[in-house]
Amino acid sequence: MSRKNLNKALKTLFASLVMLVIVFPLYWMIITSFKTTDEVLLSTPTFWAKTFNLNAYRDVLTHYPVFRYLLNTLVVTLGIVVIQSLTAILAAYGFSKGDFPGKNTVFLFVLGAMMIPIQVTFIPIYVLISKQGWLNSYIGLILPEAASAYSIFMLRQSFLAVDNSYLEAAEVDGLDRFRMIFRVLVPMCQPTVVTMVILSFINGWNAYFWPKMIITTDRARTISLGIADIRMSFLSMEALNMNQIMAASCIAALPILLLFLLFQRYILTGFSKAAMK
Amino acid sequence: MSVQTKNAGLKHRRRAFDFLCTVPALVLFIVFTYYPIAELLRISLTDWNLSRSSYGYVGLKNYEWLFAGRGWGQFISSLKITGLYTLGEVTLTLVLGLLLAHLFDRMTRWFNFMRVAIIMPRYILVSSTALVFMWLYNDLYGVFNYFLSLFGAGPVRWLTSRDMALTSLVLFSGWRMAGYAMLIYLSAIKGISEQYLEAAEVDGANGWQKLLHIKLPLLAPTTLFLTVTTVVSSMKVFQAVDILTQGGPYKTTMVMVYQIYKLAFEDHRLDRASAEGFVFFLILLIFTAITMKWSNRNVSYDA
Repeated sequence: MSRKNLNKALKTLFASLVMLVIVFPLYWMIITSFKTTDEVLLSTPTFWAKTFNLNAYRDVLTHYPVFRYLLNTLVVTLGIVVIQSLTAILAAYGFSKGDFPGKNTVFLFVLGAMMIPIQVTFIPIYVLISKQGWLNSYIGLILPEAASAYSIFMLRQSFLAVDNSYLEAAEVDGLDRFRMIFRVLVPMCQPTVVTMVILSFINGWNAYFWPKMIITTDRARTISLGIADIRMSFLSMEALNMNQIMAASCIAALPILLLFLLFQRYILTGFSKAAMK
Repeated sequence: MSVQTKNAGLKHRRRAFDFLCTVPALVLFIVFTYYPIAELLRISLTDWNLSRSSYGYVGLKNYEWLFAGRGWGQFISSLKITGLYTLGEVTLTLVLGLLLAHLFDRMTRWFNFMRVAIIMPRYILVSSTALVFMWLYNDLYGVFNYFLSLFGAGPVRWLTSRDMALTSLVLFSGWRMAGYAMLIYLSAIKGISEQYLEAAEVDGANGWQKLLHIKLPLLAPTTLFLTVTTVVSSMKVFQAVDILTQGGPYKTTMVMVYQIYKLAFEDHRLDRASAEGFVFFLILLIFTAITMKWSNRNVSYDA
């Protein structure tokens, strides 16, 4: 019995070490952001900052419009989340509880869109957006990413599991279809809806490829592009300014990190569900 | 009779409403997914150069350039690099994911906490994590080379040598994705009937034997799911390349999407970029078709 306990303890110890190795890069990002330039350049790196110094944060915030980047990202992300959620809820209703001729064929059309990433279609979309004069604009960033086949798929699965008797009861109570969707279906599938909203927020905040295609001015940059650009602006001096680059990275990562920690339960179960389907 | 027509009218209206619900999403898919595919094909048949004001149709000239002209060399090399990267990322993610799932399969509070920590890399801004890895990979001041020097090894030029750059990209992506793979494997392991594992224990199987001979075969559907999703996401890799290597050194990390992007926005050749983009679309399509066929035949779902 004691051998079994020893085994257990060893396994826990080993698992903890593995965890530390995996988390180390994140720790390194945070600790570097608090170091002075001299300390960053030591030939034997220090694993604890000698003095917790906020200079890097001050410098990067005064020299680069980081708050502008954050504001842009927030506006674009919220736009994507709102449009994606509304279109997905309505479409998921149509494809699950709804009934119209050709429903399944049309649904295949939605599934097909899941297989075509924007990395394939970006050239024509770029042409389209630039013809509208939407380069460097919020709407140009939002619209091409405003519908998510994945969200529709996920919500449809969840709506299908709702028993029809609830919908009939709502009808007897005199609720029209539109109210039924938002007062019965959505609340009943709340965990999935929350998961979908959070994931689309994280994806929107993370977006890099499409913004990179259409953003050329500093004013319009989102945070993902912004911090990559801060690093590019240092060119060969990047090691000298690594504390500033890491400070910007920490600021950029904080919002979704908080979101992730707050809603981890939803995110984690959501993903397992997608895999089990 | 009148009741019947009233009901028919109601049914009709309801069907119209149900269809209308799907319309906003459908319009977005048509405008931003399906129409661009047709446009992509059309542009690939022109000589559209972004730095000129007009363009005309030139037939298959861009495909000739891509398959039989000067474009062939870089096309085939980017295809190879994308394939190698994909193979590396899929293998690393799945193997690490499975090992982590084996190691972290315990339901105590501390293990719960550790699992969340391990999944975190995937949810932190990719630009941030890519920049940290750039710093860790630094030739002179990077911590990775410092660790190697403790063992008398290195220094390795992680991102600046032809032999290492692609591997370094794979390591970065493997680090990001392993926790996610672990999570998916763990939720599947929970679904494995205890009977199988107990029977194996009675037969004297140890942890590793249980993993290899019982869990792994029963996890085949999960492995397939992870393989397909990871292949698709790694074939379109862009951000890690753009931040860490910009396709270099000497184009050794010039993956397909990055090359199409450079053709379009650095060389201003929308025509050639579209031709290569369309071929990339066909490759994705063929991959999807093959996996769908293959998965229906080869993976048994009774576990």
